Amino acid sequence: MTSTAVEPSSAVLVERLRAIVGDQRVLVRPSELQVYASDGLPGYHKHPGIAVFPGTREETIAVIRALADARVPFVPRGAGTGLSGGALADGVVLLGLNRLKRILHLDPENRLAVVEPGVVNARLTKATAPFGLHYAPDPSSQTVCTIGGNVAENAGGPHCLKYGVTLNHVVACTVALPDGDVVTLGNAAGEQTGYDLLGAFVGSEGCFGVALDVTVRLTRNPQAIRTLLADFTSVDAAARAVSAVIASGILPAALEMMDNATVRAVEASIYAAGYPVDAAAVLLVELDGPAAGIDAEVATVEALCRDAGARGVETASDDAHRMRLWQGRKKAFGAMGRISPQLVVQDAVVPRTRLPEVLATIAEIGARYGISICNVFHAGDGNLHPNVGYDAGNPDEARRVHEAMSAIMQACIDVGGTISGEHGVGIDKIGYMERLFSDESLDAMCRLRDVFDPEHRANPGKVVPVHSCREWHGSAAWHSPRAEKDQTPRAADRTIMASRGKA
Amino acid sequence: MSATGSAATGSAATARAGRTVHPAIAGIADRVREARATRAPHRIVGAGTWLDAGQPVAHTGRLEIGAATGITEYVPGDLTLTALAGTTLAELHAATRANGQRLTLDPYGTPRGTLGATLATASAGPAAGAFGTPRDIALGLTMVTGAGDIVSAGGRVVKNVAGFDLVRLATGAWGTLGAIVEASVRLRALPPRDESFVVAVDADDTDAVAATLATLRALPFTFDALALLDAATAHALDLADAAHGALVARAADTGVIVHAMRAALGAAGQVREAAPTLWDQLRTLEPAGCATIRLSHAPSHAVDVWRLACDVARGGAGWAHLAVDRTVARVTLPRRVDESDAAFAARVANLLRITMTDFDGTCIGERLPPGAWDAVPRPRSDSDVLARLATGVRNAFDPARILNRGILGAAGGDR
Repeated sequence: MTSTAVEPSSAVLVERLRAIVGDQRVLVRPSELQVYASDGLPGYHKHPGIAVFPGTREETIAVIRALADARVPFVPRGAGTGLSGGALADGVVLLGLNRLKRILHLDPENRLAVVEPGVVNARLTKATAPFGLHYAPDPSSQTVCTIGGNVAENAGGPHCLKYGVTLNHVVACTVALPDGDVVTLGNAAGEQTGYDLLGAFVGSEGCFGVALDVTVRLTRNPQAIRTLLADFTSVDAAARAVSAVIASGILPAALEMMDNATVRAVEASIYAAGYPVDAAAVLLVELDGPAAGIDAEVATVEALCRDAGARGVETASDDAHRMRLWQGRKKAFGAMGRISPQLVVQDAVVPRTRLPEVLATIAEIGARYGISICNVFHAGDGNLHPNVGYDAGNPDEARRVHEAMSAIMQACIDVGGTISGEHGVGIDKIGYMERLFSDESLDAMCRLRDVFDPEHRANPGKVVPVHSCREWHGSAAWHSPRAEKDQTPRAADRTIMASRGKA
Repeated sequence: MSATGSAATGSAATARAGRTVHPAIAGIADRVREARATRAPHRIVGAGTWLDAGQPVAHTGRLEIGAATGITEYVPGDLTLTALAGTTLAELHAATRANGQRLTLDPYGTPRGTLGATLATASAGPAAGAFGTPRDIALGLTMVTGAGDIVSAGGRVVKNVAGFDLVRLATGAWGTLGAIVEASVRLRALPPRDESFVVAVDADDTDAVAATLATLRALPFTFDALALLDAATAHALDLADAAHGALVARAADTGVIVHAMRAALGAAGQVREAAPTLWDQLRTLEPAGCATIRLSHAPSHAVDVWRLACDVARGGAGWAHLAVDRTVARVTLPRRVDESDAAFAARVANLLRITMTDFDGTCIGERLPPGAWDAVPRPRSDSDVLARLATGVRNAFDPARILNRGILGAAGGDR
């Protein structure tokens, strides 16, 4: 029995992991691990000690138990599309879940699906389409990102304005806790009882455990959909239109804004959608619902946009046109990647009435620091995404960019906003947590984390600054039998290992 | 409707970094610290409308939240509102309606109930199917933990993933993790039209009920509320010509859509207008001292839930209604005149034990006489691991069990 943690790359641990998942599913060479050093944000590079890729639920549990026995920290990772550095494993074990990609059960009658964490978001919607259903949370990376990753970040997307975020669409989750025990949170057979541990788990950024399967709620396809593109000669006019639409009582399915810099980036890329490149801002408005009322809603929204100063308002003529309009929005980040080698993006949410003021502040900050900022965001819920492309090889530019982003974040906090609406805190925004929460509040988050992971091995160093955690004494929370540091694999794990001739 | 950005009534002074704490919140925190110092368990009290709910609470004192009242921030243009926890729902409804908006928290019970109690109990009313439960409506909150710490989580914007979700954890925790002292909630715009309808149905005709539920589920509309009432409930609501039960629906949208929704209801039977006060009446139907349980399951089991709810109601001379859109049935069992506590508890417990043996859905006790709680079936998802997590959470926030000790039983780490 060891009293100290094992090195992630120790031969003993690697051998044990290989016995569980197979030789080829454990990566140890730096050249193999290179691709896992970043997520969707190019600015961070953290190399894992090793990477392990289980292919089944049983293998996943066995891996987690092996890591628990060795007291080794680990970072769960889906598709690596995150925008907060949350899936970066700095010298620790990267636990890749992308091989768990089965849709386990579709239940159209109850509008539920049970999926493994590696199922790609868009694939789930494709699988449920024949039943007139879809999975509503639609982050821009949905063609690549996984349900497990969406759960970890409580992902949103344009359509969360009307349909809610991931948490509103998860009814149950089977979770492997960091010590290897397995628990089902939530309830697919009625109301949830007791504490909302499922609600605490969704959005916990991999710090509370690993989802083995997720039961999600599916949404009935609307009877009618209309997608409008309105263009404006000023950002202010577009913001006024947003306020007017919301104030009218109409709740669009999505209400997205892109400024001129973003529009030009998109139209110069392979994702060109036909946006007018001389528009100061464009609004992409999607309305959906019963067919009986859709035309009246379109007419109302069009009128409101024109009253606010829209130069033109077009309605998508067919599905292909609609898809093209959405492609421009959803691939906007990718379009910006053509322009500069490095990109930083923020994810603050501000009260909607403060949008015009904050957008003006962002423009002023950009001018002050001599940087170019592209704004693309979920205007309907005030979720901003100021993007700045720059050359990290230019230290002066890099410094100005980071100072500007800090100023933008503070401006958002100052108007009553928050630092992340959907990307998560990860490591990218952890430095802002103390600007948002008091010491007692941060400590409370630490204490909650201690309940799930008293050894702090699951995604360490993310979300809450470590120095914010008071030392916790006297927690009778959790004493797993496995905490006895027994290095002997459990019986079930020995079976898996035996099947590979490694027991 | 007016939704212009008017001035807030004052800053939301919560325990955020660098901001001052509202005196009412500071006062509550002081009282909790005093209680902790003497290890004196306290019962959290808002307006006192929930004192008969939950499991028996062992306490030597009361933590009064009711005086912490008032809207601290309301910007109609943002469709968000922040208020101290002792603010009544009636006050919040009046303030939002004055701005052409609504707070879609409509728990069963009197509107004298407080915001804090509604969130602490996560009490969902008829509007929950359309607009979400209290856990979906709360955007942020401040609570005083059992350790006397003032903890804030979430915020006042409509989308927020900063930090671990203590809002979700505290909502529905029945005060066992912290006394909610302030909360931010999301609002909705008032619809142009708001009409209610009733369709007389035979609530005991299982086949007809199944067909009606299937038809309703396939409709492309979202009703603000949709409920199936047994005969006793329909009678209590004075619904004429609904001797065998009724389907009641609230359609709130543009005139065109409301008209279409009314037409769609026709598949269930003859549609008549219902008084808009119907929903207030439904929510305040339950008499003091009654027992209330909730039965729920997946929609495919809606008929089973309904049948069981009716059986229990009949067995206890009570009444039942089903939130069709959530597949949650509410069963109320009145206490007989001059019935002792012990006799009532024994009768309810016996009824539950007899009726629940084959039910594989979820049964939740909301109000039960002491002594009947053990008859509520344990959730299927119960496990030792879950129990240890629940105990751990409780220990993390209220290790000395100062707040509402016992109210959740084992689910709150109290047994």
